[in-house]
Amino acid sequence: MSPPKPILLAEDNPRDAELALVAMEEHHISDKVVVCRDGAETLDYLYCRGAFASRHRGNPVVVFLDLKMPKVDGLEVLRTMKSDANLRSIPVVVLTSSREERDLRESYALGANAYVVKPVEFGQFVSAVKELSMFWGIINEPPPDPSLPKT
Amino acid sequence: MFGFSLVFVGILLICGISYRNIRVLLDHSGRDTRSYELIQVLRDIDVVTDEAEKHLRRYLVTGEPTYLDNYREVVKHKATLLMEIKDFARGSMDQEERVEQLSQAMDRQFAAQAAAIAKLAEGGIKAVKKTALDGPAKQEIAEIHRIVAAMDRHERETLRLRVRESAAQTRKTIALLAAGALLQLVLLASVYYLIRHDLTERRRVAAELKRHSAMLEAANKELESFSYSVSHDLRAPLRHIDGYAALLRKAMADSMNEKAARYLDTISTSAKQMGQLIDDLLVFSRMGRQEMFHTTVDLAQLVSMVRDDLRLDLHGREISWTIGALPSVPGDPAMLRQVFMNLIANAVKFTRTRPVAEIAIGVDRLTPTEVVIFVRDNGVGFDMRYASKLFGVFQRLHRADEFEGTGIGLANVRRIVHRHGGRTWAEGAPDRGATFYVALPTAGRAR
Repeated sequence: MSPPKPILLAEDNPRDAELALVAMEEHHISDKVVVCRDGAETLDYLYCRGAFASRHRGNPVVVFLDLKMPKVDGLEVLRTMKSDANLRSIPVVVLTSSREERDLRESYALGANAYVVKPVEFGQFVSAVKELSMFWGIINEPPPDPSLPKT
Repeated sequence: MFGFSLVFVGILLICGISYRNIRVLLDHSGRDTRSYELIQVLRDIDVVTDEAEKHLRRYLVTGEPTYLDNYREVVKHKATLLMEIKDFARGSMDQEERVEQLSQAMDRQFAAQAAAIAKLAEGGIKAVKKTALDGPAKQEIAEIHRIVAAMDRHERETLRLRVRESAAQTRKTIALLAAGALLQLVLLASVYYLIRHDLTERRRVAAELKRHSAMLEAANKELESFSYSVSHDLRAPLRHIDGYAALLRKAMADSMNEKAARYLDTISTSAKQMGQLIDDLLVFSRMGRQEMFHTTVDLAQLVSMVRDDLRLDLHGREISWTIGALPSVPGDPAMLRQVFMNLIANAVKFTRTRPVAEIAIGVDRLTPTEVVIFVRDNGVGFDMRYASKLFGVFQRLHRADEFEGTGIGLANVRRIVHRHGGRTWAEGAPDRGATFYVALPTAGRAR
Protein backbone atom coordinates (compact mmCIF):
# COMPACT_ATOMS: atom_id res chain seq x y z
CA MET A 1 0.00 0.00 0.00
CA SER A 2 1.36 3.42 -0.94
CA PRO A 3 1.70 6.08 1.78
CA PRO A 4 -0.97 8.82 1.86
CA LYS A 5 -0.40 11.60 -0.65
CA PRO A 6 1.45 14.56 0.89
CA ILE A 7 0.62 18.26 0.93
CA LEU A 8 3.45 20.22 -0.69
CA LEU A 9 4.17 23.56 1.00
CA ALA A 10 6.43 25.82 -1.10
CA GLU A 11 7.51 28.48 1.40
CA ASP A 12 10.92 30.12 1.59
CA ASN A 13 10.34 31.74 4.98
CA PRO A 14 11.03 29.19 7.78
CA ARG A 15 8.86 31.11 10.24
CA ASP A 16 5.89 31.17 7.89
CA ALA A 17 6.48 27.47 7.30
CA GLU A 18 6.61 26.79 11.03
CA LEU A 19 3.45 28.79 11.72
CA ALA A 20 1.67 26.94 8.93
CA LEU A 21 2.79 23.58 10.37
CA VAL A 22 1.58 24.64 13.82
CA ALA A 23 -1.80 25.40 12.30
CA MET A 24 -1.96 22.00 10.60
CA GLU A 25 -0.83 20.14 13.69
CA GLU A 26 -4.21 20.62 15.26
CA HIS A 27 -5.74 18.45 12.55
CA HIS A 28 -2.89 15.96 12.64
CA ILE A 29 -2.09 16.55 9.03
CA SER A 30 1.27 18.19 9.58
CA ASP A 31 3.04 14.84 9.21
CA LYS A 32 1.74 14.66 5.67
CA VAL A 33 3.35 17.98 4.74
CA VAL A 34 6.51 18.31 2.64
CA VAL A 35 8.15 21.75 2.85
CA CYS A 36 10.22 23.06 -0.05
CA ARG A 37 12.29 26.18 0.63
CA ASP A 38 12.32 27.76 -2.82
CA GLY A 39 10.95 27.35 -6.33
CA ALA A 40 13.85 25.24 -7.58
CA GLU A 41 13.44 22.75 -4.72
CA THR A 42 9.70 22.64 -5.40
CA LEU A 43 10.29 21.71 -9.02
CA ASP A 44 12.93 19.14 -7.94
CA TYR A 45 10.30 17.54 -5.73
CA LEU A 46 7.63 17.54 -8.42
CA TYR A 47 10.02 16.04 -10.99
CA CYS A 48 11.60 13.60 -8.48
CA ARG A 49 15.11 14.83 -9.11
CA GLY A 50 18.06 16.18 -7.07
CA ALA A 51 17.46 15.60 -3.36
CA PHE A 52 14.11 14.00 -4.19
CA ALA A 53 15.38 11.56 -6.82
CA SER A 54 14.58 8.60 -4.60
CA ARG A 55 11.27 9.75 -3.17
CA HIS A 56 8.17 7.71 -3.49
CA ARG A 57 6.60 8.42 -6.87
CA GLY A 58 3.31 10.25 -7.07
CA ASN A 59 1.98 13.78 -7.11
CA PRO A 60 1.12 15.72 -3.96
CA VAL A 61 -2.55 16.12 -3.13
CA VAL A 62 -2.20 19.92 -3.26
CA VAL A 63 0.55 22.56 -3.58
CA PHE A 64 0.45 25.58 -1.24
CA LEU A 65 2.55 28.02 -3.23
CA ASP A 66 4.20 31.21 -2.00
CA LEU A 67 4.82 33.71 -4.81
CA LYS A 68 7.94 35.53 -3.71
CA MET A 69 10.69 32.95 -3.42
CA PRO A 70 14.42 32.97 -4.24
CA LYS A 71 15.82 31.32 -7.40
CA VAL A 72 12.56 30.32 -9.08
CA ASP A 73 9.53 32.34 -7.97
CA GLY A 74 6.02 31.03 -7.42
CA LEU A 75 4.59 32.23 -10.71
CA GLU A 76 7.38 30.47 -12.58
CA VAL A 77 6.67 27.23 -10.69
CA LEU A 78 2.99 27.62 -11.49
CA ARG A 79 3.74 28.21 -15.18
CA THR A 80 5.97 25.12 -15.33
CA MET A 81 3.40 22.95 -13.57
CA LYS A 82 0.47 24.01 -15.71
CA SER A 83 2.38 23.40 -18.94
CA ASP A 84 3.31 19.85 -17.92
CA ALA A 85 0.70 17.18 -18.69
CA ASN A 86 1.67 15.15 -15.59
CA LEU A 87 1.55 18.08 -13.17
CA ARG A 88 -1.25 20.13 -14.65
CA SER A 89 -4.01 18.48 -12.66
CA ILE A 90 -2.43 19.05 -9.21
CA PRO A 91 -4.51 21.67 -7.37
CA VAL A 92 -2.46 24.79 -6.63
CA VAL A 93 -3.39 27.22 -3.85
CA VAL A 94 -1.43 30.46 -4.01
CA LEU A 95 -0.69 31.42 -0.39
CA THR A 96 1.00 34.79 -0.33
CA SER A 97 1.35 38.14 1.42
CA SER A 98 0.69 39.99 -1.82
CA ARG A 99 -2.64 41.64 -2.40
CA GLU A 100 -1.45 43.20 -5.68
CA GLU A 101 -3.95 42.97 -8.46
CA ARG A 102 -1.40 41.92 -11.07
CA ASP A 103 -0.33 38.91 -8.91
CA LEU A 104 -3.96 37.88 -8.57
CA ARG A 105 -4.62 38.32 -12.27
CA GLU A 106 -1.49 36.49 -13.36
CA SER A 107 -1.95 33.62 -10.91
CA TYR A 108 -5.45 32.90 -12.14
CA ALA A 109 -4.40 33.39 -15.76
CA LEU A 110 -1.75 30.69 -15.25
CA GLY A 111 -4.36 28.33 -13.80
CA ALA A 112 -4.16 28.67 -10.02
CA ASN A 113 -7.07 26.92 -8.28
CA ALA A 114 -7.28 29.37 -5.37
CA TYR A 115 -5.59 32.54 -4.13
CA VAL A 116 -5.33 33.25 -0.40
CA VAL A 117 -3.71 36.31 1.19
CA LYS A 118 -1.94 35.39 4.43
CA PRO A 119 -3.65 37.33 7.21
CA VAL A 120 -1.39 39.33 9.50
CA GLU A 121 -3.35 38.30 12.57
CA PHE A 122 -2.22 34.91 13.81
CA GLY A 123 -5.68 33.69 14.74
CA GLN A 124 -6.93 34.38 11.25
CA PHE A 125 -3.78 32.88 9.74
CA VAL A 126 -4.25 29.67 11.70
CA SER A 127 -7.88 29.30 10.74
CA ALA A 128 -7.10 30.05 7.06
CA VAL A 129 -4.36 27.43 6.90
CA LYS A 130 -6.47 24.94 8.82
CA GLU A 131 -9.41 25.35 6.51
CA LEU A 132 -7.25 25.17 3.40
CA SER A 133 -5.51 21.97 4.48
CA MET A 134 -8.79 20.48 5.65
CA PHE A 135 -10.46 21.16 2.35
CA TRP A 136 -7.67 20.34 -0.10
CA GLY A 137 -5.95 17.63 1.99
CA ILE A 138 -8.97 15.75 3.30
CA ILE A 139 -12.32 16.84 1.87
CA ASN A 140 -11.36 17.37 -1.75
CA GLU A 141 -10.91 14.27 -3.91
CA PRO A 142 -7.62 14.71 -5.81
CA PRO A 143 -7.43 13.92 -9.53
CA PRO A 144 -6.14 10.49 -10.60
CA ASP A 145 -2.37 10.64 -10.79
CA PRO A 146 -1.22 10.47 -14.41
CA SER A 147 2.38 9.73 -13.36
CA LEU A 148 1.45 6.48 -11.64
CA PRO A 149 0.64 3.29 -13.57
CA LYS A 150 -3.06 2.55 -13.55
CA THR A 151 -4.13 -0.21 -11.22
CA MET B 1 2.89 94.09 -33.15
CA PHE B 2 2.89 97.83 -33.90
CA GLY B 3 5.45 97.25 -36.65
CA PHE B 4 3.21 94.63 -38.18
CA SER B 5 0.24 97.00 -38.22
CA LEU B 6 2.39 99.69 -39.84
CA VAL B 7 3.60 97.38 -42.61
CA PHE B 8 0.08 96.12 -43.08
CA VAL B 9 -1.38 99.62 -43.39
CA GLY B 10 1.44 100.52 -45.82
CA ILE B 11 0.62 97.58 -48.05
CA LEU B 12 -3.09 98.44 -47.96
CA LEU B 13 -2.34 102.07 -48.86
CA ILE B 14 -0.10 101.08 -51.76
CA CYS B 15 -2.75 98.70 -53.04
CA GLY B 16 -5.36 101.49 -52.90
CA ILE B 17 -3.20 104.07 -54.67
CA SER B 18 -2.09 101.60 -57.33
CA TYR B 19 -5.68 100.64 -57.97
CA ARG B 20 -6.65 104.31 -58.43
CA ASN B 21 -3.64 104.97 -60.72
CA ILE B 22 -4.47 102.02 -62.91
CA ARG B 23 -8.07 103.21 -63.15
CA VAL B 24 -6.74 106.62 -64.34
CA LEU B 25 -4.43 104.92 -66.86
CA LEU B 26 -7.31 102.84 -68.19
CA ASP B 27 -9.42 106.02 -68.49
CA HIS B 28 -6.55 107.73 -70.33
CA SER B 29 -6.22 104.88 -72.73
CA GLY B 30 -9.97 105.10 -73.49
CA ARG B 31 -9.70 108.81 -74.12
CA ASP B 32 -6.62 108.25 -76.31
CA THR B 33 -8.63 105.90 -78.48
CA ARG B 34 -11.37 108.57 -78.80
CA SER B 35 -8.76 111.18 -79.73
CA TYR B 36 -7.33 108.95 -82.47
CA GLU B 37 -10.83 108.31 -83.77
CA LEU B 38 -11.56 112.03 -83.67
CA ILE B 39 -8.44 112.74 -85.74
CA GLN B 40 -9.47 110.06 -88.21
CA VAL B 41 -12.97 111.56 -88.54
CA LEU B 42 -11.47 115.03 -89.08
CA ARG B 43 -9.39 113.66 -91.95
CA ASP B 44 -12.54 112.03 -93.38
CA ILE B 45 -14.42 115.34 -93.15
CA ASP B 46 -11.60 117.05 -95.06
CA VAL B 47 -11.68 114.44 -97.78
CA VAL B 48 -15.47 114.33 -97.98
CA THR B 49 -15.76 118.17 -98.17
CA ASP B 50 -13.46 118.25 -101.23
CA GLU B 51 -15.21 115.26 -102.73
CA ALA B 52 -18.65 116.93 -102.49
CA GLU B 53 -17.35 120.10 -104.20
CA LYS B 54 -15.72 118.04 -106.95
CA HIS B 55 -18.93 116.10 -107.71
CA LEU B 56 -21.01 119.27 -107.69
CA ARG B 57 -18.64 121.12 -110.06
CA ARG B 58 -18.78 118.17 -112.46
CA TYR B 59 -22.55 118.30 -112.36
CA LEU B 60 -22.58 122.06 -112.95
CA VAL B 61 -20.29 121.68 -115.98
CA THR B 62 -21.99 118.65 -117.56
CA GLY B 63 -25.55 118.73 -116.20
CA GLU B 64 -25.24 114.94 -115.88
CA PRO B 65 -27.64 113.86 -113.06
CA THR B 66 -25.36 110.94 -112.03
CA TYR B 67 -22.92 113.51 -110.63
CA LEU B 68 -25.75 115.15 -108.69
CA ASP B 69 -26.60 111.73 -107.19
CA ASN B 70 -22.95 111.23 -106.24
CA TYR B 71 -22.91 114.70 -104.66
CA ARG B 72 -26.04 113.96 -102.62
CA GLU B 73 -24.56 110.62 -101.48
CA VAL B 74 -21.42 112.35 -100.21
CA VAL B 75 -23.42 115.10 -98.47
CA LYS B 76 -25.43 112.45 -96.60
CA HIS B 77 -22.17 110.80 -95.48
CA LYS B 78 -20.86 114.17 -94.32
CA ALA B 79 -23.83 114.68 -92.02
CA THR B 80 -23.06 111.30 -90.37
CA LEU B 81 -19.43 112.32 -89.89
CA LEU B 82 -20.55 115.55 -88.26
CA MET B 83 -22.68 113.54 -85.79
CA GLU B 84 -19.67 111.33 -84.97
CA ILE B 85 -17.33 114.22 -84.41
CA LYS B 86 -19.82 115.87 -82.09
CA ASP B 87 -19.78 112.70 -80.05
CA PHE B 88 -15.98 112.41 -79.95
CA ALA B 89 -15.48 116.07 -79.06
CA ARG B 90 -17.79 115.93 -76.10
CA GLY B 91 -16.03 116.85 -72.88
CA SER B 92 -13.65 119.44 -74.30
CA MET B 93 -15.08 123.00 -74.40
CA ASP B 94 -12.68 124.22 -77.09
CA GLN B 95 -13.39 121.33 -79.40
CA GLU B 96 -17.15 121.54 -78.86
CA GLU B 97 -17.07 125.18 -79.83
CA ARG B 98 -15.09 124.37 -82.97
CA VAL B 99 -17.53 121.57 -83.85
CA GLU B 100 -20.28 124.19 -83.64
CA GLN B 101 -18.33 126.48 -86.01
CA LEU B 102 -17.69 123.52 -88.27
CA SER B 103 -21.37 122.68 -88.35
CA GLN B 104 -22.26 126.29 -89.26
CA ALA B 105 -19.56 126.39 -91.98
CA MET B 106 -20.92 123.15 -93.38
CA ASP B 107 -24.46 124.58 -93.34
CA ARG B 108 -23.17 127.59 -95.27
CA GLN B 109 -21.35 125.28 -97.71
CA PHE B 110 -24.54 123.31 -98.37
CA ALA B 111 -26.52 126.55 -98.74
CA ALA B 112 -24.04 127.91 -101.37
CA GLN B 113 -24.02 124.59 -103.21
CA ALA B 114 -27.85 124.40 -103.12
CA ALA B 115 -27.96 127.92 -104.59
CA ALA B 116 -25.68 126.86 -107.47
CA ILE B 117 -27.91 123.81 -108.18
CA ALA B 118 -30.98 126.08 -108.24
CA LYS B 119 -29.20 128.51 -110.59
CA LEU B 120 -28.41 125.64 -113.03
CA ALA B 121 -32.02 124.58 -113.09
CA GLU B 122 -33.12 128.16 -113.75
CA GLY B 123 -30.63 129.46 -116.30
CA GLY B 124 -28.87 126.40 -117.72
CA ILE B 125 -25.18 125.60 -117.91
CA LYS B 126 -24.23 129.07 -119.13
CA ALA B 127 -25.57 130.72 -115.99
CA VAL B 128 -23.36 128.62 -113.70
CA LYS B 129 -20.24 128.47 -115.84
CA LYS B 130 -18.34 130.96 -113.70
CA THR B 131 -19.54 129.43 -110.47
CA ALA B 132 -18.49 125.99 -111.69
CA LEU B 133 -15.02 127.21 -112.57
CA ASP B 134 -14.49 129.08 -109.25
CA GLY B 135 -16.11 126.45 -107.10
CA PRO B 136 -19.54 127.16 -105.63
CA ALA B 137 -18.48 127.05 -101.97
CA LYS B 138 -14.83 127.95 -102.22
CA GLN B 139 -14.79 130.26 -99.19
CA GLU B 140 -16.82 127.97 -96.96
CA ILE B 141 -14.63 124.99 -97.82
CA ALA B 142 -11.52 126.98 -96.98
CA GLU B 143 -13.18 127.84 -93.66
CA ILE B 144 -13.98 124.15 -93.01
CA HIS B 145 -10.37 123.11 -93.72
CA ARG B 146 -9.15 125.83 -91.34
CA ILE B 147 -11.44 124.67 -88.54
CA VAL B 148 -10.57 121.00 -89.12
CA ALA B 149 -6.87 121.85 -89.03
CA ALA B 150 -7.33 123.76 -85.76
CA MET B 151 -9.24 120.87 -84.25
CA ASP B 152 -6.61 118.41 -85.41
CA ARG B 153 -3.84 120.50 -83.85
CA HIS B 154 -5.74 120.84 -80.60
CA GLU B 155 -6.51 117.14 -80.36
CA ARG B 156 -2.93 116.12 -81.11
CA GLU B 157 -1.65 118.51 -78.46
CA THR B 158 -4.11 117.11 -75.88
CA LEU B 159 -3.10 113.60 -76.84
CA ARG B 160 0.57 114.42 -76.48
CA LEU B 161 0.04 115.90 -73.03
CA ARG B 162 -2.09 112.99 -71.96
CA VAL B 163 0.45 110.41 -73.16
CA ARG B 164 3.16 112.19 -71.26
CA GLU B 165 0.98 112.22 -68.14
CA SER B 166 0.19 108.52 -68.59
CA ALA B 167 3.85 107.68 -68.85
CA ALA B 168 4.58 109.55 -65.63
CA GLN B 169 1.65 107.87 -63.95
CA THR B 170 2.83 104.44 -65.11
CA ARG B 171 6.33 105.03 -63.78
CA LYS B 172 4.89 106.15 -60.45
CA THR B 173 2.62 103.11 -60.26
CA ILE B 174 5.47 100.73 -61.05
CA ALA B 175 7.53 102.32 -58.29
CA LEU B 176 4.62 102.03 -55.88
CA LEU B 177 4.00 98.39 -56.77
CA ALA B 178 7.69 97.67 -56.30
CA ALA B 179 7.59 99.28 -52.87
CA GLY B 180 4.48 97.22 -52.07
CA ALA B 181 6.16 94.02 -53.17
CA LEU B 182 9.13 94.89 -51.00
CA LEU B 183 6.89 95.51 -48.00
CA GLN B 184 5.13 92.21 -48.56
CA LEU B 185 8.48 90.50 -48.73
CA VAL B 186 9.42 92.09 -45.41
CA LEU B 187 6.12 90.96 -43.94
CA LEU B 188 6.54 87.45 -45.26
CA ALA B 189 10.10 87.23 -43.99
CA SER B 190 9.15 88.38 -40.51
CA VAL B 191 6.19 86.01 -40.41
CA TYR B 192 8.46 83.18 -41.52
CA TYR B 193 10.98 84.12 -38.85
CA LEU B 194 8.30 84.28 -36.14
CA ILE B 195 6.78 80.95 -37.15
CA ARG B 196 10.21 79.32 -37.18
CA HIS B 197 11.00 80.80 -33.82
CA ASP B 198 7.66 79.61 -32.46
CA LEU B 199 8.19 76.12 -33.88
CA THR B 200 11.62 75.83 -32.33
CA GLU B 201 10.16 76.92 -29.01
CA ARG B 202 7.35 74.43 -29.32
CA ARG B 203 9.74 71.61 -30.15
CA ARG B 204 11.81 72.52 -27.12
CA VAL B 205 8.75 72.51 -24.84
CA ALA B 206 7.57 69.20 -26.32
CA ALA B 207 10.97 67.62 -25.71
CA GLU B 208 10.95 68.94 -22.16
CA LEU B 209 7.48 67.55 -21.61
CA LYS B 210 8.52 64.18 -22.95
CA ARG B 211 11.51 64.09 -20.63
CA HIS B 212 9.34 64.97 -17.66
CA SER B 213 6.73 62.37 -18.48
CA ALA B 214 9.46 59.73 -18.82
CA MET B 215 10.76 60.75 -15.41
CA LEU B 216 7.26 60.62 -14.00
CA GLU B 217 6.71 57.19 -15.45
CA ALA B 218 9.95 55.94 -13.94
CA ALA B 219 8.97 57.39 -10.57
CA ASN B 220 5.58 55.75 -10.83
CA LYS B 221 7.16 52.38 -11.63
CA GLU B 222 9.46 52.77 -8.65
CA LEU B 223 6.53 53.60 -6.43
CA GLU B 224 4.72 50.56 -7.67
CA SER B 225 7.58 48.21 -6.89
CA PHE B 226 7.95 49.96 -3.54
CA SER B 227 4.34 49.41 -2.61
CA TYR B 228 4.64 45.84 -3.83
CA SER B 229 7.50 45.11 -1.49
CA VAL B 230 5.72 46.95 1.31
CA SER B 231 2.70 44.78 0.77
CA HIS B 232 4.72 41.58 0.71
CA ASP B 233 7.83 42.01 2.80
CA LEU B 234 6.57 44.21 5.61
CA ARG B 235 3.57 42.07 6.27
CA ALA B 236 5.55 38.85 6.82
CA PRO B 237 7.49 39.93 9.95
CA LEU B 238 4.27 41.33 11.44
CA ARG B 239 2.58 38.01 10.93
CA HIS B 240 5.52 36.35 12.67
CA ILE B 241 5.41 38.75 15.61
CA ASP B 242 1.72 38.07 16.15
CA GLY B 243 2.12 34.36 15.45
CA TYR B 244 5.01 33.78 17.82
CA ALA B 245 3.40 35.94 20.50
CA ALA B 246 0.38 33.62 20.26
CA LEU B 247 2.61 30.54 20.37
CA LEU B 248 4.46 31.93 23.38
CA ARG B 249 1.18 32.61 25.18
CA LYS B 250 0.13 29.04 24.52
CA ALA B 251 3.47 27.55 25.60
CA MET B 252 3.49 29.58 28.83
CA ALA B 253 -0.20 29.25 29.51
CA ASP B 254 0.25 27.68 32.92
CA SER B 255 3.12 29.73 34.30
CA MET B 256 2.43 33.24 32.90
CA ASN B 257 1.55 36.07 35.26
CA GLU B 258 -0.87 38.88 34.44
CA LYS B 259 1.84 41.39 33.59
CA ALA B 260 3.52 39.12 31.07
CA ALA B 261 0.12 38.36 29.51
CA ARG B 262 -0.54 42.11 29.09
CA TYR B 263 2.86 42.60 27.45
CA LEU B 264 2.12 39.82 25.01
CA ASP B 265 -1.30 41.35 24.27
CA THR B 266 0.35 44.70 23.56
CA ILE B 267 2.81 43.03 21.15
CA SER B 268 -0.09 41.39 19.30
CA THR B 269 -2.19 44.55 19.22
CA SER B 270 0.70 46.63 17.91
CA ALA B 271 1.46 44.11 15.19
CA LYS B 272 -2.17 44.10 14.10
CA GLN B 273 -2.28 47.87 14.15
CA MET B 274 0.77 48.11 11.96
CA GLY B 275 -0.78 45.57 9.62
CA GLN B 276 -3.83 47.85 9.39
CA LEU B 277 -1.63 50.88 8.69
CA ILE B 278 0.16 49.05 5.89
CA ASP B 279 -3.12 47.95 4.36
CA ASP B 280 -4.48 51.51 4.54
CA LEU B 281 -1.34 52.93 2.99
CA LEU B 282 -1.58 50.43 0.16
CA VAL B 283 -5.20 51.33 -0.52
CA PHE B 284 -4.24 55.00 -0.52
CA SER B 285 -1.36 54.38 -2.91
CA ARG B 286 -3.53 52.24 -5.17
CA MET B 287 -6.21 54.95 -5.19
CA GLY B 288 -3.73 57.29 -6.86
CA ARG B 289 -2.55 54.85 -9.52
CA GLN B 290 -5.67 52.86 -10.26
CA GLU B 291 -7.30 53.37 -13.67
CA MET B 292 -10.52 55.33 -13.37
CA PHE B 293 -13.75 53.91 -14.65
CA HIS B 294 -15.81 56.69 -16.21
CA THR B 295 -19.58 56.50 -15.96
CA THR B 296 -22.51 58.32 -14.41
CA VAL B 297 -23.00 57.77 -10.68
CA ASP B 298 -26.36 58.23 -8.98
CA LEU B 299 -25.34 59.74 -5.65
CA ALA B 300 -28.76 59.18 -4.03
CA GLN B 301 -28.51 55.46 -4.71
CA LEU B 302 -24.86 55.40 -3.67
CA VAL B 303 -25.59 57.06 -0.31
CA SER B 304 -28.42 54.65 0.43
CA MET B 305 -26.10 51.71 -0.40
CA VAL B 306 -23.42 53.07 1.93
CA ARG B 307 -25.95 53.44 4.75
CA ASP B 308 -27.02 49.86 4.15
CA ASP B 309 -23.41 48.68 4.38
CA LEU B 310 -22.95 50.56 7.65
CA ARG B 311 -26.00 49.09 9.36
CA LEU B 312 -23.85 46.88 11.64
CA ASP B 313 -22.10 49.98 13.00
CA LEU B 314 -25.49 51.58 13.58
CA HIS B 315 -26.58 48.84 15.91
CA GLY B 316 -27.70 50.29 19.25
CA ARG B 317 -27.41 53.86 18.00
CA GLU B 318 -30.14 56.42 17.64
CA ILE B 319 -29.52 58.48 14.51
CA SER B 320 -31.79 61.04 12.88
CA TRP B 321 -31.00 61.11 9.17
CA THR B 322 -31.87 64.04 6.88
CA ILE B 323 -31.08 63.07 3.29
CA GLY B 324 -31.82 65.70 0.64
CA ALA B 325 -32.22 65.13 -3.08
CA LEU B 326 -28.88 64.15 -4.62
CA PRO B 327 -27.90 64.43 -8.29
CA SER B 328 -26.05 62.10 -10.63
CA VAL B 329 -22.45 63.01 -11.42
CA PRO B 330 -19.82 61.68 -13.85
CA GLY B 331 -17.20 59.56 -12.08
CA ASP B 332 -15.92 56.19 -10.92
CA PRO B 333 -18.64 54.43 -8.86
CA ALA B 334 -16.27 52.41 -6.66
CA MET B 335 -14.12 55.44 -5.87
CA LEU B 336 -17.06 57.74 -5.13
CA ARG B 337 -18.53 55.02 -2.96
CA GLN B 338 -15.30 55.07 -0.96
CA VAL B 339 -15.66 58.85 -0.55
CA PHE B 340 -19.17 58.70 0.88
CA MET B 341 -18.39 55.56 2.88
CA ASN B 342 -15.58 57.44 4.62
CA LEU B 343 -17.57 60.64 5.19
CA ILE B 344 -20.70 58.89 6.48
CA ALA B 345 -18.73 56.42 8.61
CA ASN B 346 -16.88 59.40 10.12
CA ALA B 347 -20.17 61.15 10.86
CA VAL B 348 -21.47 58.00 12.55
CA LYS B 349 -18.22 57.51 14.46
CA PHE B 350 -17.85 61.05 15.77
CA THR B 351 -21.47 61.33 16.94
CA ARG B 352 -21.07 58.27 19.15
CA THR B 353 -21.12 60.38 22.31
CA ARG B 354 -24.48 61.98 21.38
CA PRO B 355 -27.72 60.52 22.73
CA VAL B 356 -29.35 61.30 19.37
CA ALA B 357 -26.99 61.71 16.45
CA GLU B 358 -28.09 64.04 13.68
CA ILE B 359 -26.59 63.44 10.25
CA ALA B 360 -27.65 65.48 7.23
CA ILE B 361 -26.58 64.91 3.62
CA GLY B 362 -27.61 67.15 0.74
CA VAL B 363 -26.69 69.61 -1.97
CA ASP B 364 -25.14 72.83 -0.67
CA ARG B 365 -25.23 74.54 -4.05
CA LEU B 366 -25.44 73.67 -7.72
CA THR B 367 -23.62 75.74 -10.36
CA PRO B 368 -23.53 75.03 -14.09
CA THR B 369 -20.08 73.44 -13.67
CA GLU B 370 -20.12 71.75 -10.30
CA VAL B 371 -22.27 70.43 -7.48
CA VAL B 372 -21.29 70.91 -3.83
CA ILE B 373 -22.48 68.14 -1.51
CA PHE B 374 -22.31 68.38 2.26
CA VAL B 375 -22.27 65.76 5.04
CA ARG B 376 -23.12 67.40 8.37
CA ASP B 377 -23.17 65.89 11.86
CA ASN B 378 -23.73 67.09 15.43
CA GLY B 379 -20.73 65.15 16.71
CA VAL B 380 -17.59 66.17 18.57
CA GLY B 381 -16.47 68.47 15.74
CA PHE B 382 -12.96 69.87 15.46
CA ASP B 383 -11.01 73.06 15.95
CA MET B 384 -10.79 75.05 12.70
CA ARG B 385 -7.14 75.74 13.54
CA TYR B 386 -6.40 72.14 12.55
CA ALA B 387 -8.64 72.13 9.47
CA SER B 388 -5.60 72.00 7.17
CA LYS B 389 -4.47 68.74 8.79
CA LEU B 390 -7.79 66.96 8.36
CA PHE B 391 -7.13 65.55 4.91
CA GLY B 392 -3.48 64.54 5.48
CA VAL B 393 -2.27 60.93 5.45
CA PHE B 394 -2.45 59.39 8.95
CA GLN B 395 -3.46 62.74 10.44
CA ARG B 396 -5.79 62.40 13.40
CA LEU B 397 -7.40 65.11 15.51
CA HIS B 398 -8.48 62.74 18.30
CA ARG B 399 -6.61 60.41 20.57
CA ALA B 400 -6.64 56.73 19.65
CA ASP B 401 -8.40 55.85 22.91
CA GLU B 402 -11.22 58.34 22.09
CA PHE B 403 -11.93 57.27 18.52
CA GLU B 404 -10.38 54.37 16.60
CA GLY B 405 -8.94 54.65 13.10
CA THR B 406 -5.64 55.10 11.30
CA GLY B 407 -6.36 58.51 9.79
CA ILE B 408 -6.34 57.46 6.17
CA GLY B 409 -10.05 57.92 5.37
CA LEU B 410 -10.10 61.66 4.62
CA ALA B 411 -6.78 61.42 2.77
CA ASN B 412 -8.47 58.91 0.48
CA VAL B 413 -11.49 61.21 0.16
CA ARG B 414 -9.32 64.11 -0.96
CA ARG B 415 -7.28 62.00 -3.35
CA ILE B 416 -10.37 60.54 -5.02
CA VAL B 417 -12.14 63.90 -5.26
CA HIS B 418 -9.01 65.47 -6.77
CA ARG B 419 -8.83 62.73 -9.34
CA HIS B 420 -12.41 63.59 -10.27
CA GLY B 421 -11.36 67.23 -10.74
CA GLY B 422 -13.17 68.35 -7.58
CA ARG B 423 -12.38 69.92 -4.18
CA THR B 424 -12.94 69.03 -0.53
CA TRP B 425 -13.03 71.16 2.61
CA ALA B 426 -14.55 71.09 6.06
CA GLU B 427 -16.07 73.40 8.65
CA GLY B 428 -16.54 72.71 12.31
CA ALA B 429 -16.09 73.74 15.92
CA PRO B 430 -15.14 71.68 18.98
CA ASP B 431 -18.20 69.91 20.34
CA ARG B 432 -20.43 71.67 17.78
CA GLY B 433 -20.37 69.16 14.97
CA ALA B 434 -18.62 69.15 11.60
CA THR B 435 -19.62 69.68 7.98
CA PHE B 436 -17.63 68.14 5.15
CA TYR B 437 -18.02 69.51 1.63
CA VAL B 438 -17.32 67.71 -1.62
CA ALA B 439 -17.43 69.75 -4.84
CA LEU B 440 -17.66 67.53 -7.91
CA PRO B 441 -17.67 68.71 -11.54
CA THR B 442 -20.98 68.04 -13.28
CA ALA B 443 -19.27 67.74 -16.66
CA GLY B 444 -16.56 65.06 -16.67
CA ARG B 445 -13.01 66.43 -16.52
CA ALA B 446 -11.38 63.78 -14.33
CA ARG B 447 -7.67 63.01 -14.49
